[in-house]
Amino acid sequence: MKTSPSILETSIGLVILLVLSTIAIGVFMKQSRYDASIYQPELQVQERLNPSSAATASASKLDAYLPENMMVLTAPENFGPDNLSDKINGKAELYLSAGFARLRSQRFVDRTNPESWMEVFVYDMGSPQNAFAVYSMQKRPDAEKLDFTPFAYRTENALFFVQGSEYVEIVGAANTEALVGNMLGFARGFVGDQSIAGETLNILQLFPAENLDETSISLLASDVFGFERFNNVFIARYRMGEMEMTAFLSLRDTSQEAEELAAAYYRFLGENGATDVPTTIAIPGVKLLQVFDTYELIFHNGNHLAGVHEAESREGAEELALILQRKLLEIGK
Amino acid sequence: MTDLPRDPSMNRREFFRRATKAGLSITAAASLSLWLYDPRGPVAPAETDEVLVLLPDFSIPGLSSRMSIVTGEDRVKSVGVALKSLGGIEAFIGKGDRVLIKVNAAFALPALLGATTHPQLLGEVVRLCLQAGAASVTVTDNPINDPESCFTLTGIRQAAESAGGKLILPRESLFRPTTPSGARLIRNWPLLYAPFQGVNKLIGIAPVKDHHRSGASMTMKNWYGLLGGRRNIFHQDIHNLIKELAMMVKPTLVILDGTTTMMTNGPTGGSLSDLKQTNMMIVGTDQVAVDAFGAGLLGKTVAQLPFLLKAQEAGLGTTDYETLHPVRTATG
Repeated sequence: MKTSPSILETSIGLVILLVLSTIAIGVFMKQSRYDASIYQPELQVQERLNPSSAATASASKLDAYLPENMMVLTAPENFGPDNLSDKINGKAELYLSAGFARLRSQRFVDRTNPESWMEVFVYDMGSPQNAFAVYSMQKRPDAEKLDFTPFAYRTENALFFVQGSEYVEIVGAANTEALVGNMLGFARGFVGDQSIAGETLNILQLFPAENLDETSISLLASDVFGFERFNNVFIARYRMGEMEMTAFLSLRDTSQEAEELAAAYYRFLGENGATDVPTTIAIPGVKLLQVFDTYELIFHNGNHLAGVHEAESREGAEELALILQRKLLEIGK
Repeated sequence: MTDLPRDPSMNRREFFRRATKAGLSITAAASLSLWLYDPRGPVAPAETDEVLVLLPDFSIPGLSSRMSIVTGEDRVKSVGVALKSLGGIEAFIGKGDRVLIKVNAAFALPALLGATTHPQLLGEVVRLCLQAGAASVTVTDNPINDPESCFTLTGIRQAAESAGGKLILPRESLFRPTTPSGARLIRNWPLLYAPFQGVNKLIGIAPVKDHHRSGASMTMKNWYGLLGGRRNIFHQDIHNLIKELAMMVKPTLVILDGTTTMMTNGPTGGSLSDLKQTNMMIVGTDQVAVDAFGAGLLGKTVAQLPFLLKAQEAGLGTTDYETLHPVRTATG
């Protein structure tokens, strides 16, 4: 039996070791001074030098929804996750963290009044849930609700709505009723286009209607209630008698995940000073905790993680939890 | 468990021989790497032959920090009153001065949305500088969006030119690499440098805005518009970046327009409901102090905006603006 390698084998081995060591040391030295301004994808460089050509490469069809008295002011623009910040700078993170896929935007102007122009932003968020997340996170309080989609409102100079997987903003350069009329005309044309209607958001039907403040429904994308692992959580405000509290719901991939996340949130609250409070309500595995002067209640039902946040009384938290549980059971039948 | 068969060729001598070989291999590889090591680091292709530039200090030597806070709805009147209370524009701009005004023209949005420097305010400052005898007043920014659209749709182009100012739009050839002294993030980074050549006074004019990443965008953050390249990567360390911007730029004067404040959904806003009428104009030589006052307009404390404390710790100004004894006035 041969017990030692040949000179050739030893030499090859040494050469391989030498090459690997050289590569490792070289990579270590170079990566310690990584400069993203130098190492950038070629496509991004081209877009930077000639944004209009990149934009028109995938032209949007937004002008198809224009009212007759408006015309195109500027060329359509398209942005992806890599260059969204070129359009909206520091707000890009809000969209990126919620699953942003693509932005189409374009400006249009009134044929008879050059001061009366608007810019349309269509954010493709990948899913109705993601679109609702960015819609609800930016929702302006006291805005006027619109009825052409379940989630739509207007302010003095702008319209905001969710259509399928898309979140749409139409921003006017003036706050005149004439311009808002044109914006509404555009929005109705856009919403009426069945080719982009897409699926609708169903989870909101899980919130019991009684005592619900409908305008308060939001989807929090990440770091919900300060808990790092808590993401994609719908919240809604309820008024139970004289007390206010927040119900929360999150649809997880599996029942096990919902159960495990509920347990993790319970531990998180405990680690941050919450104390257990005994409860006898008929919800399997329910946990009730007191945090200073408020109560937190957590449970899960199938794939749904649910609970009550910042309830002003224990009884209120329990009552709302039972209503939530009943609704979840109804849906599950 | 079975023992592995013993290698009859392996003895102490053989072991040392092989260990020495391995050691020599590693030493050779390390020596080769050291020989290949480039101590200067990677250089941007376009900047290979370029020398790093630094902005000069535009503050007025010997002038102690000054600050003025004016309450009023009319930003044109307010800025006039604010400057007058600091000794007039003549205290900062003299005959023959060549002035550069850095505006916030980041977005191609109309002025009424408060996301950019208001054209009326800019026009008035340009006019005052020229009235004080400035030889030239230049206005510039490197916007987030297409520069041509930004300067036109914000009204900044028309305001600057009709008041007698000159507009410089950014283009590739106007940038030079910079590494401000003490900077950790801004290193060998493209700076909109050409508009500074021949200039001896610098004024920054910015609105007060909420900002999704940094919490606020005011006069210090406004210098972000002097950077080129893929600057959005700096958003990952935005507070230190803003501190370094203040290290990079020592202005003659900063003007913070809090006539309206973008309270939410910044820095773009989009709805008039994002704005609040706060009726304040702040003018000063200490950009940290001016921004510290601006924090209050956003309903925030200094502690909630880490870049302010970082800038103060770096000796760039004070967050305790009251120590500057700001002149407080109101327009009639």
